[in-house]
Amino acid sequence: MTGSRPARLGALLACLLALAFGLAQAVQLDSRVFEIARQLRCPVCTSESVADSSVELAQQMRQIIKDQLEAGRSEREILAYFQQRYGDWILLDPPKRGIHLVVWVLAGAAVVVGAGALAVVGRRWVGRSRQPIAVDPADLERVRAELQGLETDPDAPEAGLR
Amino acid sequence: MKRQGLLLTVLAVALLGGLFAYGLLRGEPDRDIPTALKGKPAPAFELPVHEHYVNQFGETLSLEELEGRPLVVNFWASWCAPCYDEAPVLQAYWERYEDTGVVFVGVQTQDRGKRAEGRAFIDLFGLSFPNVVDDDSAVSVDWGLFGVPETFFVSRDGVVLDKHVGPVTPQVLDAQLAALLR
Repeated sequence: MTGSRPARLGALLACLLALAFGLAQAVQLDSRVFEIARQLRCPVCTSESVADSSVELAQQMRQIIKDQLEAGRSEREILAYFQQRYGDWILLDPPKRGIHLVVWVLAGAAVVVGAGALAVVGRRWVGRSRQPIAVDPADLERVRAELQGLETDPDAPEAGLR
Repeated sequence: MKRQGLLLTVLAVALLGGLFAYGLLRGEPDRDIPTALKGKPAPAFELPVHEHYVNQFGETLSLEELEGRPLVVNFWASWCAPCYDEAPVLQAYWERYEDTGVVFVGVQTQDRGKRAEGRAFIDLFGLSFPNVVDDDSAVSVDWGLFGVPETFFVSRDGVVLDKHVGPVTPQVLDAQLAALLR
């Protein structure tokens, strides 16, 4: 071994840094692969995403995503690659165009209609609670008479019964 | 007001019921997914040939080599039960149509590291049309495959005319080959 101790330490540190950098890059690439795979439906287990499925086809699809990312292709280009082969079906989020718009518009419309219906029903309930309660005049007279008999403040109960 | 509400409820229930019945009666939804490749050029491939056919076709077979000939491209795997059902049908039709210029190509796919099992499959049915190995399933994805078996029908000018999901039957092959050779 040649070189002074600090030089050797420096070299070791540089190696470690390079290793850490490489590892970080690999982790970042993997997380991008999964990010894209999560948006794709697995053709075999159709209720799972390509990120979640462990079947051979999904594994190969993840490999293809990785290869294409390494080749410098963008997320959009990679999604388009799968879309060209499998159609819109492969996308877990339907694209916002054509017949698929129905899904997006309907969801928004349902929220708006629901909120509108709630507002109408709420107003009706509040309005109903503000309406004076219908009381038989004979009953009212009887209560008044009873209250007078109790020698309490004569104004308070009347306000409630009006 | 009350009658209107009742009518609306009945209408909503009828609508949901109708949707439910449609979902139940429309059969297997997977079978209805058309290939996105229909009408588009068949994706190119170059794959290693199973030992049986090396003398005739060389170590690898590419789509380019088969240019100008109508193709029946059948994807199969050694673990796939319906593939065992359709293999004799494919062999019988290959023998019948071989002289018309059409080429049948079998692609063993989604079957990593199972070459020996693939060889046994070929031996079992005495498949005499070329069979290749897509060991990493890359071609399978390139062709937009959902599972096995799937069979593609490619015209002379290399355009995907149609795809059949599931085992092929004589009826399917009769219709598809007639369109292919038209």
